Amino acid sequence: MNCQRLKNWFEERYDFEELKRLTKHKLVPTHQYEIWYYTGGITLFLFGLQFITGMVLAFYYIPYFEHAHKSIIEIVTKLNMGWFFRSLHHWGAQLAIVVLFIHVWSTLLLKSYRKPREFLWFSGFILLGISIFFGLSGYLLLWDERAFAAVRVATGGAGNLPIIGNFIKAFLRGGIDVTGDTLTRFYAFHVSILPLITLFLIGVHILLVQYHGMSVPLSLEKKPQKQIPFFPNLFYKDLIIWLIVLGIVVTLSTLLPPEIGQKADPLAPTPENIKPEWYFLFLFQTLKLFPGEIMGLNGEMIAIILISCGILFFFLIPLFDRKSSRGEKSFLFTWIGIIYFVYFVVMTVIGFLS
Amino acid sequence: MKRIIFTLSLIFTNTLTLWAQDKIEVFPTVPYDRFIIFHTLAIFWIAIIGLIIIIRMKLKEIERIQKMGIDKEEKDIPLLD
Amino acid sequence: MKINYSLITRRTFLNTLFGGWLLTFCGGSFYALLKFAFPTLGKEPDFVVLNTKDYIDIPSNSTKPFPWGGVMGLFFKKDSGTMVALKGVCTHMECNITYKPEDKKFYCACHQGWFDEDGKNIAGPPPKPLEFFDVKVEGEKFIVAKKGIKVELPKA
Repeated sequence: MNCQRLKNWFEERYDFEELKRLTKHKLVPTHQYEIWYYTGGITLFLFGLQFITGMVLAFYYIPYFEHAHKSIIEIVTKLNMGWFFRSLHHWGAQLAIVVLFIHVWSTLLLKSYRKPREFLWFSGFILLGISIFFGLSGYLLLWDERAFAAVRVATGGAGNLPIIGNFIKAFLRGGIDVTGDTLTRFYAFHVSILPLITLFLIGVHILLVQYHGMSVPLSLEKKPQKQIPFFPNLFYKDLIIWLIVLGIVVTLSTLLPPEIGQKADPLAPTPENIKPEWYFLFLFQTLKLFPGEIMGLNGEMIAIILISCGILFFFLIPLFDRKSSRGEKSFLFTWIGIIYFVYFVVMTVIGFLS
Repeated sequence: MKRIIFTLSLIFTNTLTLWAQDKIEVFPTVPYDRFIIFHTLAIFWIAIIGLIIIIRMKLKEIERIQKMGIDKEEKDIPLLD
Repeated sequence: MKINYSLITRRTFLNTLFGGWLLTFCGGSFYALLKFAFPTLGKEPDFVVLNTKDYIDIPSNSTKPFPWGGVMGLFFKKDSGTMVALKGVCTHMECNITYKPEDKKFYCACHQGWFDEDGKNIAGPPPKPLEFFDVKVEGEKFIVAKKGIKVELPKA
């Protein structure tokens, strides 16, 4: 396909030289750990998939508490392939969060956060928080018993933060309890506020990667790097991996479409054995570890404070890990990363089994 | 290690059924529809694998060219207008 | 017969194969997406069934609306007492029309179009007359059908 005339038309108006030079010359290091480089791209792809499926689902979903549940049932039973796209959105979300966690922990353990890439870590961490909130807000939109109870627990948990807890709880809930107002609010978050912030932060995150280049693990940094061009070599590899991921998501959506429970009733008692979504289980389980009262203070508040400290430390790791900033191996922080990972997995599994 | 993963996945899939509240039938139950869906899934996988093979062919080709060292464009080459 | 040269270059072959396959793949996926995004575009019904008692007692020289698929239909009882049914939609830009009993004409407020009692477009922009339906009485039900459609009621 010869687009020469089209290309000429553009080049007479815009100077693409710089851009073309950058794309042709962008190089990516290749080494034994390069497989982890792909995790970011897969996350991006899955989020793109979520955007598309979310947009078409928004054509039919009704964000009013009286009709929300029914609209989902209508989508799933009455529309052409409605069940498929809802299933795709569900599995896309699950996989996106799994791959996101893999991405986070691989950057943590490979110490990609070290100087000069601290802002990549910070922007990435905020993106992590936003993605979790995406999951929570999207989950409430089902407005079934399980989602309702899960959001009640989650927002209630946030309310246990000292001083600001009540404000956050009221802000998220749109009132004292989870009501139809909460649904409207979460819909606004899920469909408008979070996507816009996400797009901005992903833009920043990717631009920073272009600026700094790909980080090479400390153990290999000193050795001479073999590099391969991004276009077209890595681009093709990215495409192949994305296609495989697409295949996995589509297969999961076709064979295991998600269900929807009974419509939520704010006045009904909470059903038995309610659990939040799996990526919240570790928090849930951690809260359960703490007794109701410790030395006269509210046990939950202490738990939340400790959890917040843990999360804050996680956020600020690039500033704490002085050794890797200097380019030295830092076993302490490798172990800290492993501990965080093991804690997360163990708590999630326990939360699952209990 | 494999056994641990296997048992974990078994537990995982079993606990999923705990949440089978009053089920609203989602996956089409009509056998004709089910056949179409599996059929489409198979064709989809064939399409994806075909695409992957073609992209691999392109990748091998570009790597072959790069190894020969002929992929760089010479600077200031006169354009054939 | 084997030829010594290749008819197309490797590059063209690969690129065409890639482009073609990609196009089909994306086209297929996009088609699936569109099938979901576009609702089953409503067709007009061939006929509707209404309760007689809802419409039989309207005063002469007046109309009563009834649902015709997603669109407004009008039951019209003329001065003479005969009941006819028509699609209450202007033939110009599909606005809903209204009946003016004093003038014995149908009026469309959007662009001031006028139709007479028999639906003929007499003034304003409407290009065609109004569409009338066949009305049949079947026991306690009215069957309003498009002209020329043979109505086959499903055996309930």
